[in-house]
Amino acid sequence: MMNNRILGITDFLLFSMIFLISAFGLILLYSATNQDIDVVIKQGTKLAFCFVLMLLIASININKLKLLTPYIYLLCLMLLMVTLFWGHDSKGAKRWILFYGFSLQVSEILKIIVPMMLAWYISNYEDKEIEFKKLIISFIIVFIPIAFIVKQPDLGTSLIILLCGLITLFLSGVRNQHIKYLIGLFLIVTPLMWKFFLLPYQKQRILTLIEPASDPLGSGYHIIQSKIAVGSGGFFGKGFLNGTQSQLEFLPERGTDFIFAVFAEEFGFLGILILFLFYLAIIIRCINIAIRAKKYYSKILAGSITSIFILLILTNISMTIGLLPVVGVTLPLLSLGGSSLLSVFIAFGIMFSINRRN
Amino acid sequence: MRKSFLDVGRVNSERLFARRFILLLTALSILSLLLITRLYYLQVISYEHFDTLSETNRIKYIPTPPRRGIIYDRNNIVLADNSSLYSIEINLNEAKDIKRILDSVNKEISLTAKEIKIFHKKKLKYSHHNSIILKSNLTESEIAKVLAIQYKHDGLDISASLLREYPYKKITSHVLGHIGYIDKRDLSTLDKKKYQNSKYTGKTGIEKYYENKLHGIPGYKHVEINARGRQVRDLDEKSAIPGKDIYLTIDIELQKYMYSRFQGYTGSSVAINPKNGEILGMISAPAVDPNQKLWKLDLDQEQATKLKSPMFNRATHGLYSPGSTIKPVMALNGLHRNIVSASQEFYAGPFFQLPNNSRRFRDWKPKGHGIVDLEKSIIQSCDVYFYMLANNLGIDKISSFLKYFSFGGKTGLDMPYESPGVLPTKKWKLKNIGTNWTDGDTVITGIGQGYFLTTPIQLAYATSIIANKGTIVIPKLNKDSKPIKSKEILAKEDFLKNIINLKDWDAITNAMYKVVNQQNGTAYWTTKNKKNNISGKTGTVQVYELSQETDIRSKENLPDHLKDHSLYIGFAPKENPTIVIATVIENVGSGSKYAAPISNDIINYYLDKIREKNDE
Repeated sequence: MMNNRILGITDFLLFSMIFLISAFGLILLYSATNQDIDVVIKQGTKLAFCFVLMLLIASININKLKLLTPYIYLLCLMLLMVTLFWGHDSKGAKRWILFYGFSLQVSEILKIIVPMMLAWYISNYEDKEIEFKKLIISFIIVFIPIAFIVKQPDLGTSLIILLCGLITLFLSGVRNQHIKYLIGLFLIVTPLMWKFFLLPYQKQRILTLIEPASDPLGSGYHIIQSKIAVGSGGFFGKGFLNGTQSQLEFLPERGTDFIFAVFAEEFGFLGILILFLFYLAIIIRCINIAIRAKKYYSKILAGSITSIFILLILTNISMTIGLLPVVGVTLPLLSLGGSSLLSVFIAFGIMFSINRRN
Repeated sequence: MRKSFLDVGRVNSERLFARRFILLLTALSILSLLLITRLYYLQVISYEHFDTLSETNRIKYIPTPPRRGIIYDRNNIVLADNSSLYSIEINLNEAKDIKRILDSVNKEISLTAKEIKIFHKKKLKYSHHNSIILKSNLTESEIAKVLAIQYKHDGLDISASLLREYPYKKITSHVLGHIGYIDKRDLSTLDKKKYQNSKYTGKTGIEKYYENKLHGIPGYKHVEINARGRQVRDLDEKSAIPGKDIYLTIDIELQKYMYSRFQGYTGSSVAINPKNGEILGMISAPAVDPNQKLWKLDLDQEQATKLKSPMFNRATHGLYSPGSTIKPVMALNGLHRNIVSASQEFYAGPFFQLPNNSRRFRDWKPKGHGIVDLEKSIIQSCDVYFYMLANNLGIDKISSFLKYFSFGGKTGLDMPYESPGVLPTKKWKLKNIGTNWTDGDTVITGIGQGYFLTTPIQLAYATSIIANKGTIVIPKLNKDSKPIKSKEILAKEDFLKNIINLKDWDAITNAMYKVVNQQNGTAYWTTKNKKNNISGKTGTVQVYELSQETDIRSKENLPDHLKDHSLYIGFAPKENPTIVIATVIENVGSGSKYAAPISNDIINYYLDKIREKNDE
């Protein structure tokens, strides 16, 4: 295994896979945006910035990172507050902070920061069980940012962050008994949430999922068009730039949420299998890092990042083919967008940093 | 309960992590496999289904309707044409700011508040359509003004659709018929493929009869569209085949003249060239302007009754007793059966009576005609002579003979509907009236009254057979149609030409000539112009039967709708006739007073003005 301490690249295979997939992402974006080279260049610039950031993080000692964790967490909470009060309003939701022409969606970053904070908190008590008090504090750590994000409102991202938090808690050894209680609580709270908490449009999204044909021109439209795009790709795909669903704009949100549909239409089932092999290579390398991690903090964090990475891929694809409601989860490394890219590359930076200590 | 293997102490935290990590990864792997299975199902198993859906998404089939054939008169004068109707359309997908478009259109051509309101209503109602009509029926200057600002606005379009135009309006309305919106009943008979983008179909007249020829075959265009419905590129195209033009036998000059002579009258007149069956003119009055009918499906009931049903084509549908116009045929029947001879003389008093019956069948002439022979009976239209003749023939011989002239049957004219009229027979009466035929019924059939009903086209057709002395020519409106004589017609023609003696034909045609050209003829005074050698026969049909004892035939005091129908049949010139006419005018009075002078004027107009001109 290559071990380049100057650049912080401690796993060359992992690095090359990340590079290949994100570079291919730019090519795919060219097709998804109707050959808009400007968008591609802009995204390329962001990607370059993310790579630099990743290498920067990779070169930081993981122990230093651990010490910094609570401050980073608090900074994120502050940024969330800023978002809520001075955020950019778009389609009735305040999700972005704008500064100097850049927009930042802080909630995206929290997908990695919340697991980090949990790992920090729990690893400080390495030798004790997670008793009830610790569990409550862990949940407070998870729910403070969620409260801000629900307020934006952005229920989809809130749920994903909750899931990320739960993954970390699960990996760090919550008692089985507590897990049972949590499941029980979930079963009671969910129907109540549906009744009192969900907004009509959110309910509609979920209902549409069950029967997209019930509203083919409304909320169901995205799902129907996306399924057509994926299905009509067939085994070999329609070919690069030849996806009619994408090129003729039947497919909505082609660059971001539905980039997988563009890929599936143009490259087919075969293309998907190859893409999955690339993802699998990344995942195997990550699992390797997690298993070999020496410190408890590193272990939990690496395990969480690996699992969350898989979870995000599965969620996005399920969304694209109509198995989950459209919750605004991007496809890691392929989707257009700065903030989600940032969080993915921060995560990989951490992975490299952990690996350095192995 | 067994203690779970996961529930271990913090000391073994590393092992716990490893187990849970493996558990989590296993769960995620299972989900991944399920997802791949699902993707396989979508992309490989259901590929055909989604491929079709994606093709229907992007490919739009645009049928292009064919141009409808133009209808001309015999001299290539346009009788039915297509004109374009221009409308402003707003394409909702392309329009960025509809209010701004409306404002600037309004600045150029003022829109009414109602038009704008209707537009907004349509916009809501037909939001799934791409384009909504803002204003239709644009004038040329309006089109120019809108075209001038069109470049400034995306989604502002001018669309053209074809509209049928009948330049001669009421004059040709019954012959041409009209087109109208395709309704459910039409759909059941029309070829759906051919009509999928057609709005109109022929409803009556020539427009209906020759619908197949006139309509043409639609073409299509496949275009690729994007999600906003904008056409990206053309894929393939097949152009429409325009409908065939039709040249009628109608002479519009004669038609115009005929219609002008019917101002204020209700009735019909049909002029045929007996040599080839070409209908030279065919009118039915009153009529409505067919140009308006495209917009309104039907006249309301009140207007229709007030106008004495102008939609009704009296030439092919109007059922009238032939009255005395049938006398030449009756006379021919009598001669053929040797019931009478041409020179045989009878005394004709004021009325005729059947043995053992008190009913008096009166003559129109109160004092009677005195001594008459066959010729005089036709010239003066002696009723008593024909009462006697009919009584001697009997109804069976009368109706079988009338069949040779196609009474009670269709003439074969190329019109969508034609009434067969009523041929008086014993069987018909028993079936339709429910009582047995009486001798009295036979007697009045002799002067064309009673149950015997004919249409003007039938009368003209029978007259053409008389003019041709037995040669049958099937009437037609389309110059290019070549009606084929059926075996039945050929058998009839054989009888009329070969079994009936030429001298019998001469006897009745000579008598008809004298009706117009001999001083005591009923139509003598109806034309001063004798050089065209018109032959004819008048008819006056009682609509209202006066009491048996009243012998005052003056009906001037009767209300209009009970007045007699005025009929006339005629042809000219006597030798080698080139025009035959049959005219019915409803509820005006005697045949010699109304139908005869008008018909003879029409014949003279044709022979003097039109034939002469055509010969030059």
